[in-house]
Amino acid sequence: MASEELLQTLGNKYSAEILEATDEPQSAQELSDELGIPIATCYRRIDELTEHDLLELHDNILSDDRRRIKIYRRNVDAVHVEFDEPLAVDIDERTEVANKLDEAWRTLSES
Amino acid sequence: MSTIELTKTGIEGLDDILNGGIVKNSTTLISGNPGAGKSILGLQYIYNGVELFDEKGIYLTFEENAADLREAAESIGFENWQQYVEDGQINVYDKQVLLRENDFGAALDILLEDLDNEEYERLVLDSLTMFQLFFESEREKRTYLLKFTDILSENNLTTLMTNEQGTVFPGTDIGLENFLTDGNIYLLQTPTDSGVNRYVWVAKMRKQNIDSDIFPMEITQGGLTVHKNASAFSMMGEDESPL
Repeated sequence: MASEELLQTLGNKYSAEILEATDEPQSAQELSDELGIPIATCYRRIDELTEHDLLELHDNILSDDRRRIKIYRRNVDAVHVEFDEPLAVDIDERTEVANKLDEAWRTLSES
Repeated sequence: MSTIELTKTGIEGLDDILNGGIVKNSTTLISGNPGAGKSILGLQYIYNGVELFDEKGIYLTFEENAADLREAAESIGFENWQQYVEDGQINVYDKQVLLRENDFGAALDILLEDLDNEEYERLVLDSLTMFQLFFESEREKRTYLLKFTDILSENNLTTLMTNEQGTVFPGTDIGLENFLTDGNIYLLQTPTDSGVNRYVWVAKMRKQNIDSDIFPMEITQGGLTVHKNASAFSMMGEDESPL
């Protein structure tokens, strides 16, 4: 059941494009502009993808006009689907090494 | 003269052609084929740091375990290597530590913590080639090399990274890592009847005036020696540089 929901989420219009674009953290507005997605749809897709751990909230950054902006980054590198009983969807998460370096690097730019 | 701070390698001849040393907090790539002397240069840089300049160092190796490294160091005459390791003046992360639990992630945590203490000034990564295996795409490799060098630089480390790559000749593809690091040093070797001739070429050093000729180099007891007076070896005429 969870697998089917995951596939459904992935299959929604713009989901794949959003995951492709979030190799580096992006805000909803950036994704909307870059990919030509209506902003409301963009927020909805982000919520769905985040709910399934395909996308993660990476940071809250301060914009030029001093507003808090949420930026998102994809949490997966690949998804494998097997159609043997039962339907199985495997998610390859980003490597631990990449995540740790991101984290350490982010701390640098804050200090 | 500028006021750029330099880190001396303490390697005879090399600091001369580098115009004093390596720019502090920079990352330099040491490229060459297997056997060219990359790891020895790394060992010597870290060893000299303690022996000559009282600067602590970190040696990261995916290629060897601590015992092999000690043997290699002692065999070229770095007699106090083990003592410095035991004193904590040289901090070795060998392949067993780095690859514990099959992922470099656990070791990275300890390393980042060590860097945070800011007691070390020199770092060697042997090799960048292995480090990059932890990343999937070319883009990721570049991104994380840049992030890693930023982290090292911010923690006041002057870094050498070895790279399994031969000399780049005009018209061939240059590895992107050459553009992403602050300096590039190539170690070259050509076979001869009696053995091999070795050379060093400092191809790039950001913020530094360097002598970009190719200089003969020897590996003997005591490590690398670069012969600044190249003409003594009559290696090549002005017009017949191999590059």
